[in-house]
Amino acid sequence: MEKTVVKIENLVKRYGELLALDHFNLEIKEGEIFGLLGPNGSGKTTTINCLLSLLTFDKGNIEIFGKKMTPVSYDIKKEIGIIMQDVAVFEELTVLENIDYFCGLYIRDKALRKQYIEEAVKFVGLEDFLKFYPKKLSGGLLRRLNIACGIAHKPKLIILDEPTVAVDPQSRNKILEGIEELNRNGATVIYTSHYMEEVEQLCTRIAIMDKGKKIAEGTKDELKRMIKNTETVSIDILNLPDEVKSEISALPHIYDTIYNGEKLTVYCSGGKHNLIRILDVLQKKDLSFGRVYTELPTLNDVFLEITGKALRDKEE
Amino acid sequence: MFLHYLKYEILSSLRVKDLIFWLILFPIILGTLFKIAFGHLYEKFETFSAIPVAVVDEAPELDSEFVLKMEIFPTRDIIDSVSEGDQPFLKVTYTDRKQADELLKKGKVTGIISMEGKLSLTVHDSGIEETLLQNFVDRFNSSITVVTEAITSNPNAEAEIIQAISTEIKAVTDIPLTKGNTDYYTEYFYNLIAMVAMYGSLTGLNITIRNQGNLSKLGARKCCSPAPKSISLLASLIGSFIVQSICMLICVSFLRFVLRIDFGSRLPAVYLAAVCGGILGVSFGFCIGSIGALKTEIKTSICFAVSMFFCFCSGLMIGNMKIIIEEKAPWFNKINPAAVVTDSLYYLNVDKDYSRFQTKMITIAVLSAAMILLGFGLTRRKKYASL
Repeated sequence: MEKTVVKIENLVKRYGELLALDHFNLEIKEGEIFGLLGPNGSGKTTTINCLLSLLTFDKGNIEIFGKKMTPVSYDIKKEIGIIMQDVAVFEELTVLENIDYFCGLYIRDKALRKQYIEEAVKFVGLEDFLKFYPKKLSGGLLRRLNIACGIAHKPKLIILDEPTVAVDPQSRNKILEGIEELNRNGATVIYTSHYMEEVEQLCTRIAIMDKGKKIAEGTKDELKRMIKNTETVSIDILNLPDEVKSEISALPHIYDTIYNGEKLTVYCSGGKHNLIRILDVLQKKDLSFGRVYTELPTLNDVFLEITGKALRDKEE
Repeated sequence: MFLHYLKYEILSSLRVKDLIFWLILFPIILGTLFKIAFGHLYEKFETFSAIPVAVVDEAPELDSEFVLKMEIFPTRDIIDSVSEGDQPFLKVTYTDRKQADELLKKGKVTGIISMEGKLSLTVHDSGIEETLLQNFVDRFNSSITVVTEAITSNPNAEAEIIQAISTEIKAVTDIPLTKGNTDYYTEYFYNLIAMVAMYGSLTGLNITIRNQGNLSKLGARKCCSPAPKSISLLASLIGSFIVQSICMLICVSFLRFVLRIDFGSRLPAVYLAAVCGGILGVSFGFCIGSIGALKTEIKTSICFAVSMFFCFCSGLMIGNMKIIIEEKAPWFNKINPAAVVTDSLYYLNVDKDYSRFQTKMITIAVLSAAMILLGFGLTRRKKYASL
């Protein structure tokens, strides 16, 4: 039976009148990459800060590795690696010194520390920047340094709070690959993000949060099965007659169609060969069309259907 | 763990450019400006200089008794003797009455001493120099009476009596309180040292910012580590004390050996006072930083403003401010960290013993300990209501 690494029960956190966490529950098993997904302000970071005993909370209980987590649980903290949303390193220390500093808070043995630091540097690909000061690094490299400082001591539980915010695609891929590798090496990972693609790609299990509550939890397939939509078909077509649109809407397993004058979007729920049946209708009416594509539901569709709003703000 | 913290605390502090500017470069610049501004003022205004006096040596109607006195009493020699040497009392111009009046009118002499009958003095104003002249003339006249009576009764002892009385007539005697420098303008350099000590508050503030989870991300990260906060704080404090002490030593050395400011003959104690002052400054910043959950920028502003206020009150900008405060609120001078530091330096320079200096050092120690304990008490909180 898999061990429970993190257990949060009935957690309530208020900031004055604002209810940041509303009876929040969570259980994370050993070896998982657990995703906490939610829009900005949904309570992801507050959850992490409570988990780390940085924040007081009004109600609830938190256990890590089967022990109650408190600010002086140094034996638990020793096994945790934290990568904050904002980069937290010394501006006055070089890359190497920063990693050594943070690793030294966990590992006292100098020889072992040296070995761990070398591995961490290699892991994040900062070998060529060891003597650089943080302000000389690009945003992506800085994030990598932030990660190296958090994982150099080889923690069993790694918490990454939106580590890819404002990171270039190359660094983002490097970070995501690195997280998968850390997991393969035995670490349990908690990953918070509002980038659904990352969470989908990375996480073995996901909890979706909104307004301090967990609104859904499961694997990505389990989450997608929670909603009506199973397939979305999009067809670029001009001058679609209303009767043709109605005919498509009447096809089995189709629960909604939207036409904006250029593109027809058809939402399907279950069934097979939905695309063939739609194209068959258009062919029979001798209507020409352009690009045709079909999409499986995303976590955004899950969030949209459960909450009635998009997961990410448009500007993001 | 402690040494690991300490090493990086010192390393990172020494690389903070702002800190280097405010704690090393700024005092050097300001000290140099002070030296340029005040360097020669002391000699010009504060050192005693010979009193210019016109002596009228005309005696148209000498009475027989006075002629006798003048024959046995070398008046002119005595006046000459107090006009010579390293520290002459008088700067004498022998002239006639008319010319002497002219000199007095033009302000070229402070007074006119007339050897007409008894010695008499003519002055236009009243002041320290006029008082000294009057004192000299009075003592001279009374001495003549004593001498003539003594010689009349014991003619054989004439030479000894005149020698003894000549020495006594010298109106001023330089009685040094200390081997130190009593230059009033040195106070500005004491204040400069106190200012550098108080700037240590910025280093102290940095300790709390870097260790409090609700003040910085770095603090939050440290709070997540398995290192006890007390060890982290202690290492940070000691590291800051070391860095601040280095800055204080540089400052005092620059003032003493480059600008050649005379801090007296107790230089090791001056270094000690400066270092202790620096520790007090760091402790003050540590204490301010630990109070409340204000933003870092606000705390920095408060720290800077309060430090400058303390320096202002101890006389950094206006020399006699400390004296004014001593009259209005003497208790404040006793707890104002900047004033305590300047006082300790002053007492070192002017006092013969160390008693007042020791009192100030104890005050520094007590204030530092109180601030550190308060800071520790307030920062040991493990969890925060918000980050």
